[in-house]
Amino acid sequence: MFELKPMLSALWRNKVSALLIALQLALTLAIVSNASVIVKDRMEQVARPTGMDVENIIAATYMPIPTEYDMAGAVVADLDLLRSTPGVVDASVTNQIPLSGSGSAGTYFTEPNQEIGGENANYYQVDSHFINTLGLNLIEGRSFVPADEHVIGPNDQYHSKMAVVSKQFAEKLYPGESAIGKFFYSGANDNPVEIIGVVEQHLGAWPGWSRAGNVVFFPLLVTGNHKRYLIRTEPGQRDEVFKKVEDLLNERDPQRVVHVETLSENVQRTYISDNIMIKVLSLVMALLTFIVALGIIGLTIFWINQRTKQIGIRRALGATRANISRYFLVENALIAGTGLGLGTAGALIINQLMVSEFSQPALTLPLLAVCAIVLLLVSIAAALMPAMRAANISPAMATRSV
Amino acid sequence: MIGYYISLAIRSLRGTPILSALMIAAIAVGVGASMTVLTLNYMMSQNALEHKDKVLYAVQLDSWDPNQAADTANEIPWQLTYPDAVALLRSDIPTRQVAMHRFGFTVNLDESDMRPFTANTRVTTRDFFSLFDVPFEYGGTWNKEADSAAVQSVVLSKETNEKLFGGENSVGKVVQLNGEPFTVVGVLKHWNPSPKIYDLNNNPFADSEELYIPFGLHRKYEIYSWGNTNGWTSSAPEGAEGYERFLLGEHVWIQFWVELDSAEQKEAYEQFLTGYIREQKEQGRFERPLKFALSHPSEWLVLNEVLGNDNRVLGWASLAFLLVCVVNAVALLLAKFLRKAPEAGVRRALGASRNAIFTQHLIESSCIGVLGGLLGIILALAGLTGIRALAMGQVDQIATMNWEMMLAAVGLAIFASILAGLYPAWRISRTNPSVYLKTQ
Repeated sequence: MFELKPMLSALWRNKVSALLIALQLALTLAIVSNASVIVKDRMEQVARPTGMDVENIIAATYMPIPTEYDMAGAVVADLDLLRSTPGVVDASVTNQIPLSGSGSAGTYFTEPNQEIGGENANYYQVDSHFINTLGLNLIEGRSFVPADEHVIGPNDQYHSKMAVVSKQFAEKLYPGESAIGKFFYSGANDNPVEIIGVVEQHLGAWPGWSRAGNVVFFPLLVTGNHKRYLIRTEPGQRDEVFKKVEDLLNERDPQRVVHVETLSENVQRTYISDNIMIKVLSLVMALLTFIVALGIIGLTIFWINQRTKQIGIRRALGATRANISRYFLVENALIAGTGLGLGTAGALIINQLMVSEFSQPALTLPLLAVCAIVLLLVSIAAALMPAMRAANISPAMATRSV
Repeated sequence: MIGYYISLAIRSLRGTPILSALMIAAIAVGVGASMTVLTLNYMMSQNALEHKDKVLYAVQLDSWDPNQAADTANEIPWQLTYPDAVALLRSDIPTRQVAMHRFGFTVNLDESDMRPFTANTRVTTRDFFSLFDVPFEYGGTWNKEADSAAVQSVVLSKETNEKLFGGENSVGKVVQLNGEPFTVVGVLKHWNPSPKIYDLNNNPFADSEELYIPFGLHRKYEIYSWGNTNGWTSSAPEGAEGYERFLLGEHVWIQFWVELDSAEQKEAYEQFLTGYIREQKEQGRFERPLKFALSHPSEWLVLNEVLGNDNRVLGWASLAFLLVCVVNAVALLLAKFLRKAPEAGVRRALGASRNAIFTQHLIESSCIGVLGGLLGIILALAGLTGIRALAMGQVDQIATMNWEMMLAAVGLAIFASILAGLYPAWRISRTNPSVYLKTQ
């Protein structure tokens, strides 16, 4: 009923054109499926929960001008000032800004004096307000209290006695049990650090790091040539407070240079390359599909023009309009099927290269199937309009100019 | 004859405006996408030191953890420890050598209303400017002694000099860095190589530093790095306390470059490095197998993967995209030419050779290429503008097209369209004229 035999012989006469369409679809499927697996992977990266109240957080970095500077005193005074500013929920001092791409990491062990087999983590030096300032979710244990805080110079050898860690890191050190009250060692020494609290989720300074999510917080203020504050505002008050922070800090003490940024800016900046990949590859996929659709429309129209007389004859011999449309649609589906079959093989081969040469994610079969189905639908849709037009060719065409 | 073919081609393109527009658009989109990505990749692969590539070397020494190789492309730390850098500086084999790292200062002027600002600073030995061919507007580099003793000299970038002194010759004037007086000894001309070949850590497309200060100031100001500091052990030499403990410890944070003008010099330097590592091994350092690396700037760019995997993937994706556009154009050209087959039949019957028919149709497809290429340039410029916006100012310097890239765009378009036209033109030139003459 699908008139397969005459269709195949008709296709054979136009084999080059048919092959070109199939080839386009094959290439398109190979590219689109590989691009979409990358896009999917990157979107998941960007969508990972930060564990923080990103929208309402401001970060301020300052550098004192004089070389001799009472940084510990300045931090206390600045934080008092910031916390009493209207619209501010809480403020804290930190050695690094979350998701900024700049921070510190250490290697941690569950046994003293180890040299190998440690677990790497991003570490923060913060005060007792930090967890509240970021809006981190403390799921076990307690947060720091002011009595836990220590102030040291940049060159002092001091080991914190306690730490709050991320859940991910706690599970790496002590899988399957509560880490609260347990100890770890930072570096090859025998100074135990007690885990007093666990927060649910925090990505740390580098979201692109292979160990992102391994985070340790120490209650420590290390004085040095610059310091950073994080400020959480009431919802909707961020921009209002943002405008004031630099002036507030400079008014209290003009002997310094202050730089203020929002955490949202940092989040955007940290995902720049992922965003470029997502946008560029999505555009490539959309344009490719569009161009292939145009190609199919163009070629189907051309074939129909070529076969106008044939169609007229078939109509005159009793073929219905539906017969004619169906003929072209089935023909198109045959070509598309061949192309997509080739494309599936191509996609898998290209993906092998993508994984081995460019460390991109592996293509999953469901995703490949979805891409193939979408392309099949697009090709049918593209052939639909010309096929309908073909059905409108009047049987009288057959009698003309013969 | 060519002129006649071109006029035929234009007439033919006008005859089927929709089909022609479709083909031109396909080529343009393909070329636009490829040129956007290829321009970016091309600019990212630039080597600002190409003219000195043969004589410059980035130096790496394997002073890392005996239990585990360094996590870099060649398993040697990117940077050196401070004691190693100072020890290498004592060698008189290299024509020039530079030990350096990034730092930051607050900058202000005495008796000025200007708001203080922070400035990216390079802490370096004096040869930095001559080794990397950095041009001076005024003055020059500091004295040799400033590389090891605390001398408060500073070289300003052109932009910093404009900010502080309105661009005048400021040599001899004093600026306050972290509240300490530094005397200006030189002012640079505009210099901002991208990628920032001399320091590829963190962002290889960051701007050059705004200030340059001598390498002899570490102890006086307890200078730490504003770049990467990596360590594998907290052990330090006996008795070293405070900043000294950091300075002399096993952290790598100093970048080191040498200029070796001849093969003999290079060989002598390799022997020197081997000797140095052996000597250190005797003192219990450098516990890993003896290993060091000297990389030319071109090799250094590859080693540091300045052109990352993502860029390569985008490069291939855009070329594959262009390929689909070419296949698309083949199909459409074939349809178009076959529809005009009667015309070609008449021309053949009137004596045109197969070659003439072939050439004529190939010229027609090149016309599509030229138009597609020009349109493609516009699309690529739009694409680069989009990338600049997405990158939030981080690639402003590299996401731009120069004349060469524009010519390349047209070239690529013509190449693509000729490739697309080959088969259809050949096919039409083989048609038998008699078939068409009969039905006329």
